[in-house]
Amino acid sequence: MSLAMINALVRKDITLYFKNRFFAFITVMGLVAYVVIYFLMPQAVDETLTMGWHGPELPAATIADFEEEGLVLRPYDSRAALQKAVQSGDVLVGVVVQQDFLQKLRLGQKPQVTVLSKSDLPDEYRSAFRLVLEELGHALAGRSLSLEVDETVLGPDMAGHNVAPRRRMLPVLAVILLITETLGLASLISSEVETGTVQALLATPLRVEGLFVSKGITGVILAFSQVLLIIAITGGLEREPLLVLTILLLSSVLMTGLSLLIASVARDMLSVIGWGTLVMVAMAIPSFNVLMPGLTSGWIKAIPSYYVVDPIYRVTNLGAGWSQVGTSLLALLGFSMLSFALGVATLGRRLQ
Amino acid sequence: MSLRRVGVLFGKEFIHGPKNYMFILSLVAPLLLSLLLSLVFGTYFGGKSRLGLVDQGGSQLRGLVQKNEAVSVRIYGSLQELRDASARGSVDVGLMLPPQFDQHIRSNDQTKMTVYVWGESRLRDRLVVASAITHAVHQIAGHELPVEIVQDVLGGETSIPWEKRLLPMIVLMPLVFAGSLVPATSLVTEKTKHTLTALAASPATLGEVYMAKGLIGVLLSLVTSIMVLSLNRAFIGESALLLGVLLMGSVFGASIGVLLGAAIKDINTLFAVIKGMGLLLYAPALIRMFPQVPQWIARLFPTYYVIQPVLEISQNNAGWSEIAPEMGVLVGLIAVSLLAAARMATRGGEA
Repeated sequence: MSLAMINALVRKDITLYFKNRFFAFITVMGLVAYVVIYFLMPQAVDETLTMGWHGPELPAATIADFEEEGLVLRPYDSRAALQKAVQSGDVLVGVVVQQDFLQKLRLGQKPQVTVLSKSDLPDEYRSAFRLVLEELGHALAGRSLSLEVDETVLGPDMAGHNVAPRRRMLPVLAVILLITETLGLASLISSEVETGTVQALLATPLRVEGLFVSKGITGVILAFSQVLLIIAITGGLEREPLLVLTILLLSSVLMTGLSLLIASVARDMLSVIGWGTLVMVAMAIPSFNVLMPGLTSGWIKAIPSYYVVDPIYRVTNLGAGWSQVGTSLLALLGFSMLSFALGVATLGRRLQ
Repeated sequence: MSLRRVGVLFGKEFIHGPKNYMFILSLVAPLLLSLLLSLVFGTYFGGKSRLGLVDQGGSQLRGLVQKNEAVSVRIYGSLQELRDASARGSVDVGLMLPPQFDQHIRSNDQTKMTVYVWGESRLRDRLVVASAITHAVHQIAGHELPVEIVQDVLGGETSIPWEKRLLPMIVLMPLVFAGSLVPATSLVTEKTKHTLTALAASPATLGEVYMAKGLIGVLLSLVTSIMVLSLNRAFIGESALLLGVLLMGSVFGASIGVLLGAAIKDINTLFAVIKGMGLLLYAPALIRMFPQVPQWIARLFPTYYVIQPVLEISQNNAGWSEIAPEMGVLVGLIAVSLLAAARMATRGGEA
């Protein structure tokens, strides 16, 4: 196994990869599209319920308590100004109460509260605002409940600084990009097997191990370089860069192994896309669990890409370090080795 | 028609279908488009606040919070299940009600509640869930509402949230992609590769081939529809009825696909026809997006009779009696398209 030969093969493969117009196009377009999608998505989460308020000033302590819990009251001088703010979307709802609101409440006279909202406000929002207003009414009326709450926050408490949608999207983009590379490499290998190029290469001093090493290096370079670029552009290397790089490198090995597996069953580009899309859908499931938490349960940990998505998400968004993601990293290492070994074994059988 | 031969042909399609690009596209495209639309219009990051509940003593609170539109409630059997669900983010807040909770509340005794909060839940979700719980507790305690709330809705009644306007389009995508495109492209590909002619030499009739291709379209369309609706949190209402409507819609979509595949000879013409028909198929969904357009126009298009029952069940919790007229029309449309497909199969067989 000569290093010079492997080097030459890697160069040839990368050149051939970009000569395939379909994969070259989706690679470049994918990179651009992912960056655009990322920056188009909201960079912060609006965690509060903001209501416009026209009426008497409320007790500062009550306002502070509710603000801490996520209810923001924005005062307006007149009903007309509040109405304008609701119609323009500055606030989702406006609340109008009379000047004697607090006196009536204290006297138990049930004052009227008018809630202004646009007709396209979803019903659940309307109900939520109504609930919160009732709660505010109970608090202002001094009506308390004899409840003792034993509260436990599970996981890091992100209240007030929750993960922005674009940051949740980051592991999804990383996995999709990695899988796209899987398809490209699988197509390249599959076409070489079909056209007999691989057999021709094996007639040279290059042995089977050399062939797999070169294909492995090509796959890792293609996948790692692009996913690294995306992560770097989107600020994913700001925390624990070495840890993130390790996760990405192991992920690239995992995907390269999968591409060898696909190449061992696919006969042409269309069947690579066919098999690859099935792999893509399966591998993408853990990333959807990040977008919609609680969608799945424990079985998701059987999917190798879970150990790509989970550590990237926790390191880049929740401030996790080596010790927190160590188990996931070990599992990722195991799956990467396993997929590469399986890929080499199945493709090796096909070459025989 | 031999059911055994249809089964054999269906099995062949099912095994070899996944190698076909169109087969994969029809499964993945509606899911990706649905995800994209929902990401753009915010469905995935909005929605109701979620409360998990373990009730150890048959409290009224369960029924009261379940009626509340602001929260979605999931019931768990044990404290451990509730804790696990809260830890993985299945619910924003988990609440365990102790035995005799209602009696304690009514007699104003100090009552202890165990609450789990998912660390990544938003402040607003915690606030809404907490308000929903205290609202219900006040009701159990017999407290009157301290304020009288009057809703003043601004703007015309025609304003509908975009996620609701887009739902018809999302419902239609699997029908068109999986239901119609797969049988149509499969039949046209068989014609261009002359494998359909080879099949004609076997005991299988053209009708059986059409039936097998159609069934694949029905299966794919049904599976994709369920996935797309679930992803959009719209697989709600009477699930058996909704499944029935989706099945009928899938049959309709597949029968159109078979008709196209039977009538068209090459793939370019097929795609040209599909592009032309797109407006006809998607018209009810497009009309629904713009409430300013008179909505009765949508009734002129066949796919209206698929999406309307689905929307009625998932959005308005409609039952059979409410959707029966649309279903009647849909059954009629399916019968006509199946008869047309059978006629084409007979003609093709004779030719």
